[in-house]
Order: sequence, then structure tokens, then C-alpha cells
Amino acid sequence: MELHFDYSGLYEFLYSVSSWLLWLVGRAFEFIGVDSDNFFYPVRQFLTDQQFVYFVALILVALIYLVAGLLFGIQFIWMERKFLGRFMDRRGTQVGFLGFFQNFADAFKVLLKAVIIPKDSDKRVYQFAIFGILAVSFMLLGLVPWDNNFYAVNVPLALLLGLAVFSLAPFTLILAGWSSNNKYTVIGGMRGAAQLIAYEIPILLVVVSAVVMTGTLNFAEMVAWQQNNVLLFIPLFIGAITFFIAGVAESERIPFDLPEAESELVEGWQTEYGSLGWGLIMAADYLRAYIVCVLFSIIFLGGWAGPDFIPGSVWLLTKAAIVFFFMVWLRAATVRIRTDQLLKFCWNRLLPLAVINLAIAVLIRVYSVGWW
Amino acid sequence: MAEEIKKRTTYLSRGALKPRAYVGDGLKVTFRTLVRTTIHRPNTIQYPWETLVKPECYRGRPGITLETCIACSKCVKICPNKCIEMVPIDHPTLGKVKRPQVNVARCMMCGYCAEVCPTDAMIVTPEFELAAYTRSALMYDPIKLQHERKPGYIVHSPMVTPSEMKSGRTDSHDKGDMAIKDTVQLDSRKCISCARCSKTCPVGAITMTDTGELNPKTNKPVKKPVFDDNKCVSCEQCVDVCPKSCLSMKEAM
Repeated sequence: MELHFDYSGLYEFLYSVSSWLLWLVGRAFEFIGVDSDNFFYPVRQFLTDQQFVYFVALILVALIYLVAGLLFGIQFIWMERKFLGRFMDRRGTQVGFLGFFQNFADAFKVLLKAVIIPKDSDKRVYQFAIFGILAVSFMLLGLVPWDNNFYAVNVPLALLLGLAVFSLAPFTLILAGWSSNNKYTVIGGMRGAAQLIAYEIPILLVVVSAVVMTGTLNFAEMVAWQQNNVLLFIPLFIGAITFFIAGVAESERIPFDLPEAESELVEGWQTEYGSLGWGLIMAADYLRAYIVCVLFSIIFLGGWAGPDFIPGSVWLLTKAAIVFFFMVWLRAATVRIRTDQLLKFCWNRLLPLAVINLAIAVLIRVYSVGWW
Repeated sequence: MAEEIKKRTTYLSRGALKPRAYVGDGLKVTFRTLVRTTIHRPNTIQYPWETLVKPECYRGRPGITLETCIACSKCVKICPNKCIEMVPIDHPTLGKVKRPQVNVARCMMCGYCAEVCPTDAMIVTPEFELAAYTRSALMYDPIKLQHERKPGYIVHSPMVTPSEMKSGRTDSHDKGDMAIKDTVQLDSRKCISCARCSKTCPVGAITMTDTGELNPKTNKPVKKPVFDDNKCVSCEQCVDVCPKSCLSMKEAM
């Protein structure tokens, strides 16, 4: 087997690494005398097979991407605690260096708690709902690239796939709320589903306008278009604002946190979840916020486009963190709104704005395609 | 004015959210707070390492000066939590006397004991870190209750009587003024001249004086108590000790 490293992408790099490792394994088998007539020859063949190398590379990519994404999600939790503290004239978390270790302490605490499943719940669905919401969030995590070279998958219709996966979430919310067999969770799940479905539509319309402008559904090409022409934030300013507000609602954050309104519904659809299940749901919540931020910065702020002295992925994460700062600011500044106001706001304000934005995008595309 | 404030503060108009009142003002205020707390520091005091500067009139646990205390037990009577008790102590200079002991675990730091103290022997101290490992450690006996004095530790409670307020006068009375002092009244028909009240009185305001009469049985002069209202501290100990209930308090207000 030819030894050949290709650093162009994370996947290619890890494929080279795993093929090199498995080539070493094959050499070791050869060294201890596993030849074509040996009993263990099929094992050697299996381990050095092209498909198995792909599989190992895929697992490595998934692991690295998961760890990187989770770490950044955790950093978002820290950011929220610290900034919210400053917004409220107090110090945020203080465990460890600037409070960085609070999240890890919380994770360990949650890990050590007893797993309690409600007696009258639908146990299988109750447990499946955790994995459902986790799967939805982690799948999105894999879809958004950090850089030209740092991505898990690069499919042509990534944006469409991402939004389709995003819209699976209400289903798991309803499952979780219904299977817990509790009034609060059912109401929370219903509210969550209504809210997520309603705010899906402005998001899709805004994304369609971005697609009209760039003419592609692939994140990398979208960013390349913005590098060549203009940041979409400037022509589609209305759409960016709409996307931001709808994104806040999609990630169930204040002022749109009706599904888990503490003063009315205890903890909403998560009420009956405890220990690690709750911890994972919480992590998934922040991952969704993180994904909304990354999507915003890729679609509107040019993703990893920026001066070269800083790596592209750092640019992307910085932009995402700035978007998240605005989310925290909005959380500090506003109060929770009522359900009717929520839906009215969506249908009467955001949807027209999204349509206007789409019209602007189409007009720009038709009349000034030459210089943009 | 009220209409204008209402207009500014409500964030709804005909059921819809008003952008400026609902989001704009909140964003402005929170951002100002963020800038201030980032440049300077948040309002939080990190307590074990930092403490607020306490004013001298801070009402912490009560303290006492044993020499000026006259054991009138007014503090025992006023205490809302009933945590003060008079206990006998053996003092090197004062001898065997009674002085108040405070159960700090039950004390609510109201400072009433210092407020009623006629000689300002009871004071409030700025000590508030009183945690201890046992309950008995929180029982502050008179020796432990002693504390250094500063002018701010003395509690003053100037009063104005309602009649004076009606007549438009604003000058106030400090404690011990005759205008607000409760005085003792004697029902001399019941009195048996036992002189317990004059023995009990902590300030010596009661003197047994001849009335000029003679007891028909023993032919000795009859003595009745006479009260010096200027010396009296209205401690009611004579009222409590009287065996025939012939003394009563006359309230000033």
C-alpha cells in the first residue's frame, strides 16, 4: 500500500492516517506469519480492506467533530453564564479559571445522579425521545462545516438536509412530552411543537432568499460566493434579522422559551427527565443554539471568510460567538411573551418580512446579477 | 405625568408588542449595565474575602458595659424573642450583682434592649459573624457580652408625643424626659409600709417617709414610699415586687 498523506480535508487526512495504521496492522500480521493458507488470513484481509479503512476514518471524523462541537457548545454555556451575570450586574460562574470548570462540574454532578424513570410513563418512548433529540442535534453538528478543510461531510444539498433535520425536532418534543405522562410535559411539548413548526417557515423563506442570491445549497460554495461578491448580511439585512429572531425561537431561548416556561410549566417537556438524560437534553439545547449561530454566520456573515492571518475555523467560531452574544443580550433584555403574541408575531411580522426579503433577493438577482 | 409614565412603561399597544418599549429600552439598559460592570466591577461583594464597610450604627449583636448597668431588667421586659435573662455574676469590682445574659442564637438584632436602656449600658455592636459549633457557645453571659463603646453604638430614639404633634411643636424628647416617662402611682390605702419597693429600686428613687400618723396598735410612725420621678427609670420592679398590688404605672402617653 502506498503511503500518502492528503491534508486538504479533515476526512482525507484521517483516511490517510487510518489507512497508514491499518497498513501497519497488515504488516504486523505478515510478520507473525499469517499467510494466505493461515486460519487467521480472513481477519487480516478484513482489517486491511478498503471499506474497513473508510469505516475507521468515518468513526475518527465523527469522534473528532463531536468532541470539537461539544467543547464549543460547552464554551457557549460558559459564555451565557458569564455575560448574563454581567448584564445583571453580578459575577457569573466562578469555578476554576474564570468559571470554565463549572460546566464540567455540572456534567459530573449530573452523571452521578440516580436514573429515575416515572412509573406510569411509556418507558421505551420516554428513553427514545432523549436519543431522538440528541440524534437530531448531533446530525446537524456533523452537517455544518467549520472550514474548507475541516468538515465531516460535504454534500451538495447540505443546507436542505440540515433544515430537514432541524424540522424533525418538534416530533421528538411531542414524543418526550407525551410519553412522560405529566400535564406539564404534554403542554410543554405541544407548545414546543407549535412554536418550532411556526418559526420553521420564516427560516426556510430566508434561507430560500439566500439560495436565490448564491445559487447553491452547499455551505462551501455559499461562503465562496460571499468571498467573491459581498456578505449576504448587507443586501439581505431584513432577512438576517428575521433569521436571527426565528433562530432564537427555534432554539427555545428567552423570550421564546414557552416550551419550558419555569414559572408555569416547571421545566416544560423536560420536567420528568433527570440525571444524565436531562444533562444530554440540556447539552442538545445549547448545541441547537450553537448550530443556529453557526448557520447564521455561514449564511449571512461569510462563514470562514476573513483575512488569512487567522485560520478560517477560528473566524467562523468567532462570528458564531458574536451572534450568540446577541442572543444572550436579547435574553437579558426581554421578558417571555404569551403564546398568542408568539404566534401572532410569527405570522403577522416575521412571515411578511421574510417574503419581502425574498422579493429583494429576487430583484437583486434579476437586475444586478452582473456586479454582485 | 402618570399617563406619560404608563405610556412609556407598557410594552403592549392593542395586543401587539411595541418594539421600543419591549426590546429597545431593555437592550439599552442591559448594555449600559454590561459596559459598566465590565469596565468597573459588578455589584456583588465576594463576602468572605471582601466585606462592606459597616456604619457605626449597624445593629449587630447587643453589647454591654457592666459598670453603668443598673440591673433594671427593662431589656428583659422589652425583648421580643425573650432571649435576655438576668443572671448573677461575681464581678471583681462590683461584687455580686445581676446582669443581663443574651441568647444570641435567638436574638433578632432589633436593638430594642439598647433603645430602652435608661443608662445606655446596653449598646448595639457591629458584630454579625456569630456562627458557632454549639448552642451553648451562643449563650453570651454578661462577661462575654461586654464590648468596647463608641458613640455610634448607643441607640437613641427621640419621640414626639401625639398631643405635641397636634399642637404643631416639632421638638422631640430623648429617653428619660419627664414628658414621655411612665411614673409609679401609689394607692396608699392598700400600702402596708413593708418597704420592699425602696429596697428593690435600682436607682434609689423611693424613700420611705413619715406621714405624720401613728399606728394605733404599735404606736410607731407610719412610713409610706415617696417617688422621685426625676430619678425613676420606669423599670416597674417595684410594681412587680409589691405584695399588696398597691403600685401601678401611670402611662405618660
